[in-house]
Amino acid sequence: MKLIREFTKGLFKQNPIFVIALGLCPALAVSTTMENALGMGAAATFVLVSSNIIVSAIRNIIPQKIRIPCFIVVIASFVTIVELLMAAYLPALAKSLGIFVPLIVVNCIILGRAEAFASKHKVLPSIMDGLGMGLGFTLALALVAAIREGLGSGKIFDVVVIKGYEPATMMVLAPGALLTLGILIAVTNLIKKRKA
Amino acid sequence: MELTAFITVIISMVFVNNFILSKFLGLCPFLGVSKKTSSAVSMGAAVIFVMTLSGAITWLVYRFILVPLDITYLRTITFILVIASFVQFVEMVILKKSPVLYRALGIYLPLITTNCAVLGVTVLNIDNFFKGAQAVPYSFLLSVTQSFFAGVGFTLALLLMSGIREKLQLNDTPKAFQGVAIAFVIASLMSLAFMGFQGFRF
Amino acid sequence: MSDMFVVSTSPHLRHKDSISKIIWMVFLALVPAGLAGLYIFGPASLWVIIAAILSALVTEALILLLRGKKLRLFDGSAALTGLLLAYNLPSDVPLWIPVVGSFFAIAIAKQIFGGLGRNIFNPALAARAFLLISWPTYMTTWAKPFSYPDAISSATPLNLFKEGGMNLSQMGLSYWDLFLGNRGGCIGEVAVAALLAGALLLIALKIISLHIPLSYFISLGLFSWLFPARGGFATGDILFAILAGGVILGAFFMATDYSTSPLTRKGQIIFGLGCGLFTFIIRRWGGYPEGVSFSILIMNAFVPIIDRFTTPRVYGAKK
Repeated sequence: MKLIREFTKGLFKQNPIFVIALGLCPALAVSTTMENALGMGAAATFVLVSSNIIVSAIRNIIPQKIRIPCFIVVIASFVTIVELLMAAYLPALAKSLGIFVPLIVVNCIILGRAEAFASKHKVLPSIMDGLGMGLGFTLALALVAAIREGLGSGKIFDVVVIKGYEPATMMVLAPGALLTLGILIAVTNLIKKRKA
Repeated sequence: MELTAFITVIISMVFVNNFILSKFLGLCPFLGVSKKTSSAVSMGAAVIFVMTLSGAITWLVYRFILVPLDITYLRTITFILVIASFVQFVEMVILKKSPVLYRALGIYLPLITTNCAVLGVTVLNIDNFFKGAQAVPYSFLLSVTQSFFAGVGFTLALLLMSGIREKLQLNDTPKAFQGVAIAFVIASLMSLAFMGFQGFRF
Repeated sequence: MSDMFVVSTSPHLRHKDSISKIIWMVFLALVPAGLAGLYIFGPASLWVIIAAILSALVTEALILLLRGKKLRLFDGSAALTGLLLAYNLPSDVPLWIPVVGSFFAIAIAKQIFGGLGRNIFNPALAARAFLLISWPTYMTTWAKPFSYPDAISSATPLNLFKEGGMNLSQMGLSYWDLFLGNRGGCIGEVAVAALLAGALLLIALKIISLHIPLSYFISLGLFSWLFPARGGFATGDILFAILAGGVILGAFFMATDYSTSPLTRKGQIIFGLGCGLFTFIIRRWGGYPEGVSFSILIMNAFVPIIDRFTTPRVYGAKK
């Protein structure tokens, strides 16, 4: 039961993007299309789960003082693996994600979960935490991408959403990304206030 | 001439491809440290300093260690370690030499390690100014220029944002938009204004 | 009601002009330019103006209701935003363009910031930039003057200058044409003579001061003269730079907006100089032929910082 809770908290209640505002840079930069968003979400989830496993496994061995550099090395290794795999098998995706693949290293969610969760919990809960947070991140990315791609190019996955709609190009550009996220965070605030 | 290449890099980094407003790099400190103008200026100075030197150091590491050893695929992991240790080193030096400066900049330094703008600019330098394993002409100087002005662009956006947010404190902003949400809307409108530089050709 | 007991800090200055009266005076001052636009581009432009104003009012009303605020539609600010937006649109845009634009102006650029007097960016210009980036084809298809009802499309002088490398006589125009508005362009920007008449009224009534417009013209004129587009030095056409685009409308009626421009004279001069410089840079090296809207928006972002460094120190306060 507790494991399930570790998993579901990342989806909504502690959604990394909308609620704790972490990992925003990739959320904005790669959410121009649904494909990019899902690709990025999968890559980040993989790194998040893997680094959570290793960090939680070695949590009692590494000295307290140098733990952050150790976490960074672990994360950076997995990011390199993702980089190489993606370049080999999904070159088109690797190209459209560009420098945001190596930048997964500095995605605050991953270091944040390593420090706040995996370094204090056993391996199994850490896996669930990583999966939940990763999935929450992916869902948030997908939502932002759906709004931006839907409004900005009129299509999602090359399927026309509304016939006769003339897409507002701004939404796939930088101002549209910032505006979408601002409004989504405001909506989250409203929902939180309703519940409280 | 080469001068055009440099001017293009400068304008591109400050206005057209501003790290915050068009590349979304460094958003976390942008949101965190933009509530007061004074701290925005200090943060900006620290970022410019760290970015410029990191840009220079990582270029040298890439050109003279990674390329000759044929291990360029270790770029990400090497760069993040170089940046982290460099920031740590700077922090220690400043603490020893100038406690005043440390009080002004010190608290921002650890934040900078995980600032994606710093890693971002070093990776961008390699992507832009290396063709395969071969450095383009003036590659080093272009990289340093790009790093410095990426920091300047970051500071400009941070400074403008902090001024606007200070002014907004007195406003009757709708409750749901207070805090991070309104900051994003402001950033969006700023980014919209900067879109005027689209298609810039010098 | 509780507001009535709040005493603000001294000095307690009273001025007989209410904000709303000022706004309606600006509106009135803009009417001649609109009438001229109607005469030049035909009835299509009237529909654009009506659509923009109506949807601005409707959006304002909806949001005030949603926020549980008093419905103050007749302070004129929403109507003025709609009017200014329409003046910045070509006459033959489909009518949903002014509707979407007014919604963006009022909802995003004004009400999210807290409403009248609190916005950081000029709402009409923010909306115009949004429309230009989103639907560039509609926003850059201009009607030829007096070609209605079957409008023939034409380019603006700045467009012909930038893309075609033409000078004024190659365009078949004279300065007199530019002054009277006989050229392609946005509904409210072409009739320079009518705009100047309105501006004179506002200056005479001391609603706007000359600091921003003059410094805008001086810096734009100076840079355009010094660095002409076709190379050379100090041979640029100043009069063309000032008359051909939207500078007259922008400098007198939008850069001077109270809530989005600096408080002090010194600040206003810096603001105007900055607008001129950015307009010049965008026209000369940017992708767009005209940069007035973007320049004013960029300088809007600078206003709090300009204010911070130009407002006089409070007596006795330490820096």
